[in-house]
Amino acid sequence: MSTELVKVTIDEREVHVPKGTGIVETALAAGIEIPVFCYEPRLGEPVGACRMCLVEVSPGPPKPQAACTLTAADGMEIKTARTSELAADAQHATLEFILVNHPLDCPVCDKGGECPLQDLTFRYGPGSTRMSFEKLTFEKPIPISPTISLDRERCILCYRCTRFSEGVSEDMQLIAANRGAMSVITTFEDLPYTGAFTGNVTELCPVGALLPTQYRFEGRPWEIADVPTVCGLCPVGCNIHATVRETKVKRILSRNHPEIDEGWICDKGRFAFTHIRAADRLVQPLLRRHRHGLEEVSWEEATDEAERLLRNARGRIVTALSGSETVEIAYALGKLLRRGLDSHQAMLPEEVSGALDAYRLPLSAIREADAVVVLGDVPVVERAPVVDLWIKAARRNGARILDDPDDPAVAEAERVVLVWSGPGGRGGATVAELAEKLGLAGRDGCGAFHLPETPNARGAADAWAACCDEEPAEQESIGLLVVSGDEAAADEHVRALAEQAEATIVLSMFGGLSAGWADLVLPGTSYLERDGTFVNLEGRLQRLRRAATPPCPDELEWIAALAARFEVDLAPYAPSVFAEVSELVYGGLSFGEVGERAPLRGYPEAREHVERPALPEPHPQLRKGEIRLVAYKPLFSGAAVERVTELQFQRPGPELELSAEDARQRGIATGDAVTVGSDGSSVTLRARVNRHLRSGIARVPLEHANGLQGTVELAKAQEVSA
Amino acid sequence: MSETTVRVAEGPALVLAGYEGKPLRDLADYRAVGGYEQLEQARTRDPQAVIQEIVESNLRGRGGAFFPTGRKASFIPTPDKIAKPIYITVNADESEPGTFKDREIMLKVPHRLVEGCLIAAHAIQSQQVYIYIRGEYLAEYESVQGAIDEARAAGILAGVEITIHRGAGAYICGEETGLLESLEGKRGQPRSKPPFPAISGLYASPTLINNVESITTIPAILAVGPPEYAKIGAPPDSTGTRLFCLSGNVERPGVYEAPHGITPRHLIYDIGGGVPGGHTLKAVMMGGSSFPVMTPDDLDTPLDADSLGQKGYFIGSGVVTVIDERTCIVQFALRVAQFYMHESCGKCTPCRVGTRWLVQLLRAVEEGRAQERDLDLLLDVCDRIIGKCLCVLGDSAAMPVASCVTKFRDEFRAHLEHGGCPFGADSQLARLFAPVDQHAHTPVAQEALV
Repeated sequence: MSTELVKVTIDEREVHVPKGTGIVETALAAGIEIPVFCYEPRLGEPVGACRMCLVEVSPGPPKPQAACTLTAADGMEIKTARTSELAADAQHATLEFILVNHPLDCPVCDKGGECPLQDLTFRYGPGSTRMSFEKLTFEKPIPISPTISLDRERCILCYRCTRFSEGVSEDMQLIAANRGAMSVITTFEDLPYTGAFTGNVTELCPVGALLPTQYRFEGRPWEIADVPTVCGLCPVGCNIHATVRETKVKRILSRNHPEIDEGWICDKGRFAFTHIRAADRLVQPLLRRHRHGLEEVSWEEATDEAERLLRNARGRIVTALSGSETVEIAYALGKLLRRGLDSHQAMLPEEVSGALDAYRLPLSAIREADAVVVLGDVPVVERAPVVDLWIKAARRNGARILDDPDDPAVAEAERVVLVWSGPGGRGGATVAELAEKLGLAGRDGCGAFHLPETPNARGAADAWAACCDEEPAEQESIGLLVVSGDEAAADEHVRALAEQAEATIVLSMFGGLSAGWADLVLPGTSYLERDGTFVNLEGRLQRLRRAATPPCPDELEWIAALAARFEVDLAPYAPSVFAEVSELVYGGLSFGEVGERAPLRGYPEAREHVERPALPEPHPQLRKGEIRLVAYKPLFSGAAVERVTELQFQRPGPELELSAEDARQRGIATGDAVTVGSDGSSVTLRARVNRHLRSGIARVPLEHANGLQGTVELAKAQEVSA
Repeated sequence: MSETTVRVAEGPALVLAGYEGKPLRDLADYRAVGGYEQLEQARTRDPQAVIQEIVESNLRGRGGAFFPTGRKASFIPTPDKIAKPIYITVNADESEPGTFKDREIMLKVPHRLVEGCLIAAHAIQSQQVYIYIRGEYLAEYESVQGAIDEARAAGILAGVEITIHRGAGAYICGEETGLLESLEGKRGQPRSKPPFPAISGLYASPTLINNVESITTIPAILAVGPPEYAKIGAPPDSTGTRLFCLSGNVERPGVYEAPHGITPRHLIYDIGGGVPGGHTLKAVMMGGSSFPVMTPDDLDTPLDADSLGQKGYFIGSGVVTVIDERTCIVQFALRVAQFYMHESCGKCTPCRVGTRWLVQLLRAVEEGRAQERDLDLLLDVCDRIIGKCLCVLGDSAAMPVASCVTKFRDEFRAHLEHGGCPFGADSQLARLFAPVDQHAHTPVAQEALV
């Protein structure tokens, strides 16, 4: 869009907007609504299909024009339905047509009350119908996947969903079939709509045609509240609304942060929330009694026992953080253990670094890049799904997407963005070094991102580091292992430590994870039940709000109670804890100023200081013909996803991705059985050839890797003869 | 199927020049009547000069929209202005009911079409021509492909590639942007304009789209000279000849080349031999099924755009289909509406919903289930479609229906009073329209045909 301002008159109001501004937006600038259904700028070029936005334009043809397809030009005069009979009649006509086949089942439609069609009908529509024939009927609802229901009778064929599938998520699965009045939305080959972003179509749909199955008949708009918070399931930190009815979270909606997510969220963030009501959710502390295993105890007894274990350890305490703690929980734990018990040793599932602070950009800057270099070999969508959408948008914008920083296109590009998606990477230090080498510092639109595995590793690490200046001392033995959170509890390094430890305390949402090895289990809470702050992969501090009441005292509450027994002063409230952290890390920013849509700030006081777990060695150079197997944690995996039945169809199959070159050399085609082996162990997987993958790399979801990792042999599996 | 009568009925032979009953399918035969001479000469001239010649001839699009062909070509940026390929797309998806002239051009003078393509390619400096031909046209496809192969073998293409793409049977793919979408392998649905194809057409590149007859006329224009051509027919706007498609209840249906400006009466009675079997003319499907029907009192209106326009008619694709008194006009309107309901692509609301509603209303009238106010409703639904759709398909359904209701209101009313069709089973559409069950093989099943 140019910076040249042009004058447009809308219903006799003059506005000055940049040349090329859409007329719908231009009208908004004049305070005038032009109603739309199909228009959605985030879906790319307007299509002018629904005809709701018809206006009179001069200079222009004598018939009404679709405002959504027009852009502002100097001297343009627009008359909307407010001042033009032609436009009013056209709009009236469109609504009458849309309602001809639309069922009047608003009272039982989940969209009722928050439905654009309902709203616009009330504002602009006819009061009665002249249609006296049978409406079109279809089988309904059709589950296009276990998470989405399609009602074709309600569908007004605005094609928002198919345009999303084609032009945003690029999964190409949602299509329109048939023609004319019989046109229907369907999935390609009637297969379930699968992918990281499918749920977004339920929000794009301007009627009740595509609805989240989890929310069917679960709430009416006048008895729900949308709590603005941040998703805690990955390091992107998408802004979300948690829809709450009677203290229960009923659904998750996007809450467009234009720099982070542009209103798109992944299906894990949208549909995995029901894990907070999982059958094995812990609500009472569990204590190991020698003969009986774990049994429920009161909070008082649990606190006593925790105190006893902490004292007995005499400072020989190791804390395993998950990176999913809020800044406040990590700080509270740190203050208790470090100041109260002089126990400074902590570990995170991954390394954290502040090295990228010089290369910070909002995620939205990826879209404007000329070249995006993606390193690290784990599919971006599996680590930080929405980042994948920004990269796709960049490609549609003409950017080169590369996997080699030495590609000449990188040197030629004006705006270069680096993305590290994979194991190693030293918490961003590796990609920061690369950014320095490429001279990206201080260059407009250039920057680098490291995609961590955990949602708040940076925030947790900074908070832990801020508690105290003491350095951890060498310990000969572990008196007590404190395992904070489900990710740490599931980590094999942590479990190995637990075997050495004299005692172990686990904070966990779910039983089972720690059943065999914990001495004391304290129930944990979900991100949806917490107040506090998270730092996302951009380094952006964001605010979590409690949407649902936790079924147990939250972490801050009992940490504060426990802290009091060690003369550590700790308030059990997130704002108070944040105030302390903020003085040390965030320049004294107040809790209230973190922001509903937080800006990307700089935090010069933040320091790097956390013990590191043993990291995988930098990858040895592969010899020609060798294959390195990357076993990655898929997006649809982990403690939350495992507890949501309707998400199981999204979990990856036993599939091995390999490059076109490696496949050709071995005579492997997509669908073939391949055997992957190393050191005598092997696994047979289905091959999928990915022509975008560089050769020498093969990828497999962790749960199907059978423990394999690193250099492997790969061959087409021998056909078993009958 | 009997051979269609194709001949020059009047005036100079231009599009059909040299055709004397034997198709000019061999290169030698075409060369014998001066074929490819205009191409050779045009290639020695500046491309802009060739565009200027077409502008001078005032050739108008023969596909139905009557847009000045030369002006359209002049919108195409020259290669030095844009770093994209420039395409020519020839619209051979001839699907308008009553239209069968492009078919005959492709069968009788395929080389002239190829020559026209190559002259146009020279004029806008394009290296790639696509001919989008309707899938049912197999013999026509083979005829044109044969001509292209011969021309290529003879070195006539000179680096220009002509590729034929066969459609899969959708009327909407005759709409220029629907055609482009289909050609790109997408669902055949029109695009919102602007941008116009001249700027962003096929694969977002500048694209000139012309009807078969328009392109085939170009060599003829150069042969007689643009100023001479501009004097033929009904200047200034309706210059030259065109291939009129005469069909329906007429003695000698066929494709007749004649200058613009002859009257329907002359065409039907003098050239076509009148209505057979002593029947009387009741109406004319004028220009195509997409336009208002003509009543007998307008039979002396010259067939040129201006004269027709003054009376609310369109020249369209040169269709003149004769309807006689045995045809129930409600059944005719219903059949037209059914065609458009079947062919509506489903992209925009008024057309997708409105065409079905029209069918329902017309069916109710035909079966005597309607009331007087339903006739007003019919007109109102038409009015709410016309001018409000994404492309002209919706208008094409509503205009003929509205004209039938307006001009034959008494006949519609008779259905209401009679409690059904006064014609009963005696009315027939046999020579006007294919039976409706031709649509039944698609998902628009009986149920949807309401």
